[in-house]
Amino acid sequence: MQDTLSAILAKASSELVNLKTRADFEAAKARYVGPNGELTALMKQMGAVPKEQRPAMGKLINETKAQLQVQLDSALARIGDREIAAQLGPAVDPTLPSPDAGRGTYHPLTLVREEMCRILRKAGFTVIEGPEVETEYYCFDALNTPPDHPARDAQDTFYFPEKARFGNVTKKTPEEKYLLRTHTSSVQIRTMLKGSPPIRIVSPGRVYRRDTSDATHSANFHQIECLYVDKNVTVRDLKALLDYIFASLFGKDTKTRFRPHYFGYTEPSFEVDLSAQHLPKVNKEWIEIGGCGMVDPAVFEGVGYDPEIWTGYAFGMGLERLAMLMYGIDDIRYFYQNDLRFLKQFA
Amino acid sequence: MKISRNWIKQYLQVYASADELKRAITFLGFEVEGVVNTGLPALELVVVGEIKSRDKHPNADKLSLCTVDVGPAHGGVRTIVCGASNCDAGNRVPVALPGAVLPGDFKIKQSKIRGQQSDGMLCAAQELGLSADNAGLLLLDPATPIGTSINTALPGGDTVFDIEITPNRPDALCHLGVARELAAWLREDIRFPEIKFRGEASGAPRPDILGEVSVEAPEDCPLYTAFSITGVKVGPSPAWMQERLKAVGLRPINNLVDIGNYVMLELGQPLHVFDAKKIAGRKIVVRRAVDGEKLTTLDGKERALNSRMLVIADEAQPLVIAGIMGGASAEVDATTTDIVIEAAYFRPQSIRWTAKRLGLSSDSAYRFERGVDPHSTLEAAYRAIDLILESAGGTVVGPAFKVGRDRPWQREITFTPEYIRARLGFHISDEDIRSSLEALNLGITSEKIKSNGVEWTVKVPSYRSDLDRPIDLVEEVLRIYGTERVPPAFCSGPALVDGDDDPIVRFNRKVTDYLVGQRFHEVVNYTLRSHKELATWVSQSAAEELALANPFVDDQSHLRPTLVLGLLESLKLNQSRGVPAAQLCETGRVFMEINGTVQECVGAAFLLCHNPKDRTWLARPEPDFYSVKRQVEIIAGEAGIDLAGQELVPVRGAYWGWQEGQSAAAGEMKQGWTVRFGLLNLAMVRSLGVEGKVWGGMFAILPGKLAAATTHPRYQPFTLFPAALRDVALVVETARHAEQVRLALLKTARGITGPGFALEAVEVFDVYQGKGLPEGKKSLAFSLSFRAPDRTLTDDEVNTAFAKLLRDIAVDGSMSVRT
Repeated sequence: MQDTLSAILAKASSELVNLKTRADFEAAKARYVGPNGELTALMKQMGAVPKEQRPAMGKLINETKAQLQVQLDSALARIGDREIAAQLGPAVDPTLPSPDAGRGTYHPLTLVREEMCRILRKAGFTVIEGPEVETEYYCFDALNTPPDHPARDAQDTFYFPEKARFGNVTKKTPEEKYLLRTHTSSVQIRTMLKGSPPIRIVSPGRVYRRDTSDATHSANFHQIECLYVDKNVTVRDLKALLDYIFASLFGKDTKTRFRPHYFGYTEPSFEVDLSAQHLPKVNKEWIEIGGCGMVDPAVFEGVGYDPEIWTGYAFGMGLERLAMLMYGIDDIRYFYQNDLRFLKQFA
Repeated sequence: MKISRNWIKQYLQVYASADELKRAITFLGFEVEGVVNTGLPALELVVVGEIKSRDKHPNADKLSLCTVDVGPAHGGVRTIVCGASNCDAGNRVPVALPGAVLPGDFKIKQSKIRGQQSDGMLCAAQELGLSADNAGLLLLDPATPIGTSINTALPGGDTVFDIEITPNRPDALCHLGVARELAAWLREDIRFPEIKFRGEASGAPRPDILGEVSVEAPEDCPLYTAFSITGVKVGPSPAWMQERLKAVGLRPINNLVDIGNYVMLELGQPLHVFDAKKIAGRKIVVRRAVDGEKLTTLDGKERALNSRMLVIADEAQPLVIAGIMGGASAEVDATTTDIVIEAAYFRPQSIRWTAKRLGLSSDSAYRFERGVDPHSTLEAAYRAIDLILESAGGTVVGPAFKVGRDRPWQREITFTPEYIRARLGFHISDEDIRSSLEALNLGITSEKIKSNGVEWTVKVPSYRSDLDRPIDLVEEVLRIYGTERVPPAFCSGPALVDGDDDPIVRFNRKVTDYLVGQRFHEVVNYTLRSHKELATWVSQSAAEELALANPFVDDQSHLRPTLVLGLLESLKLNQSRGVPAAQLCETGRVFMEINGTVQECVGAAFLLCHNPKDRTWLARPEPDFYSVKRQVEIIAGEAGIDLAGQELVPVRGAYWGWQEGQSAAAGEMKQGWTVRFGLLNLAMVRSLGVEGKVWGGMFAILPGKLAAATTHPRYQPFTLFPAALRDVALVVETARHAEQVRLALLKTARGITGPGFALEAVEVFDVYQGKGLPEGKKSLAFSLSFRAPDRTLTDDEVNTAFAKLLRDIAVDGSMSVRT
């Protein structure tokens, strides 16, 4: 018996070390300690062992069993280690690049627009959208543009054929023509007609001019425009808003100045210049950045607001121009070519 | 327009420097687009010297050693090294003495040049800031006294400002107008030369010079005046006049023509001078042209006229396109002796229409279009007559013609200083308001004390017809007070918290945030696309409905119905430049046809490109239809559209450029939205020159369909009791859609599950086709999970339900359970 036990142990120790898989292990384990295993068979023979030998024999079997269990455990641990090693594969070369794409990027015009909207939201402005296809009334008439003003000219503005029908762009009169808006100021009119004062909106959006494309002109570009209508709105309030916007965008040392100008829909009207220390590629002290003014009483009358009660200001600027200043970009066409070497610089 | 500082000085004391004037013009509201200085700038320590001797420089072939006398006040004779070829003894030249600073911040110092002491510099014209001629030293008149300052020796010089006049200010389209503005800014008075001629003819009437003037179109020509002068002598205009005309870019021609131009640039009133003998019948008719009538204008071009255009004609033919440009036939020439001067007022709209129609602009048309002051027409004629009599001689003879109205100008604006302050938002004293207005000739004519303070009335001069309302005066006061004096303030205002950002804005933001998070690069493309592209990629009818009436260039003639075309263009550009680009996205407006009308829609789209040329050391799986499907589901979800509940239809043909068999669509614009996605048509993509396979998705929705406000979701309780799972494989026709089978399973399960439990979810987990299955069949394997909310299910009840489900599902014969 003792010899048999020793033989089992010897066999197990030589066999178990060579096991490679968990299945082999289970089979081997069954051969020793399974219901039909060799050790199990020996244990079953215990009944035939004389009573006086049983304790010693029992002890011997238990010892063998314990030793066998140690061997089994270590075999299983070894197989587990091998499995993990197989799962892990060879060591990585941490210097190899990830084949996955890098981070996505927002277009610089989106970045600038969202930055402006964020700044203006803090000042209580809500972002409003309007249609890009417009009519003569919303784009010109309501903004106090005389009927024969050059801006309405087919030379400068894109029109649609008379038969064109736009289902979700409302007309004021059936005769008026559809066109592509030349400025976001049309959103002012739609907003004022739809709601009632006080109003404080910012409307970013795409506008169109019938113009040659070059480094500073593009067939479509983007504007961002603010309108505030309330009682007792003043020129000083307008200046304060612009000072706030540009100090937020370009830093506290940024200065703005008003130059008197003319726009049909504001009176008084101003062009806005700004001066900031660290703007790239600017070699002038003052850079023109937008136009603004106090809403002309004629515009209020057109939308049914009493100009004796309501006052307001409006301010508009080009997003491309702002982005060009901010990032030092010198050609507007880059915004529309979408070369990833360009786009990836602004994330 | 160009404004000469010297010219302005005729009307105004100007002590201000050119820079100060530029600032003044700017803050008066006229943008200065350019400043050109002519003549010498002020130069210290640059004096007249005479070269006494010239020797070769011992150490340099091209240099000379000169002795130069600069006068006792500047140290007498000194030695100067010079490189110019004309530094000959006897020449008087400008000498920059040590300490002088020449234009370009060029500082002159005593120095040694190739070992020889040089005590200053002999100057060429360019070095003094004069002209680009650098041929040699500037040789001065030999009579110029030695030692005089170069500014004394060469006086003159001018500064010409190129300024933009806004369309509301036609009164500033002349030197007097700009001088008036500057006078207001500088608080100086305007001095205008006295006009001697007051309309009285001095000779006997000469109807043989001009016998009749008739105006047949008074609505377009409310005022027409004509004066005859006999015995003029054509010759060059006076030097001072030529100087001023040249300064602002006009070529002097002769005294008569120059005076016409001069008065226009002085007073803003365009004039016309006719050679009287060339006026057939000695009769001027202001009439509309006859359709088809022709006139060759002074620029040598034959112009076809029509009956909306106004002409100045004689008995026989049109002589001038009224207010725009004359024809060659009645112009003055060297032989002219008798002339007729026209000063008229033409309706701006008429001039604008004709000038635009003819594509013809002129200084005259530019002014009439914007509006000339009809109340100074005669003054301009008188001024011109003064100048003609002075420089060309002659006698004014009758009859003088004045056809039309000259209604007296009368306009007043009544307002309170309090109103001005309220609009400005800061304090400005009554006195400042009054003096600002008075500086602009807006004198206060009456003052009334009202309960709310003083009320003023100002009289508006006739040349300021742009001023009509109190708000217009706010701008005038601020202009003169100074826009730079608006005091800073904290940006504040009552809170307006009503409403949220537009749903379009929020949708675009969410989609872009999502896609950028998914490593897409956001691009921005033009809205306008070409006819050919739309006809190829979309449809012939789209190409017709989306057309502009007046495109500027052929390849930007149509609105885009999809963002995919722009995305493909961006992809192609990057590929062609060798820049790997795999994932691009864009949001923006697209235009789609619904029931015969075009709708402006909110659009979002993206592309995924697998370009085998983009190599990586570790291969990643190619994208496929199902990668883009998940993206469009999420994008549609951002717009509140759940694609799970929508029928997905495979794309047939090359619909909108998608690849048949590899793409699908859901939604119709009739419902207000659509989504299309999958593989882009391989052949079409290839024909664009784009490499590799391109998958994509596009979503469009009517702005009105985007939810205005988000509602908070309601929490749904879920159970902690476990689900019982069963798998089933069903064999169906290969063309059958998995979703259909899945829904059939769900439907059949409903009603056969036992009390209080249900088939909670059915998910496909395997699709198999091939060995072991009949031809034309595929196997779809589903995992089913049964669950009761309040207990653990027993095997028995689940088995019973599952067995019945397996029997019932196969009952119609369209599918069988794979065993």
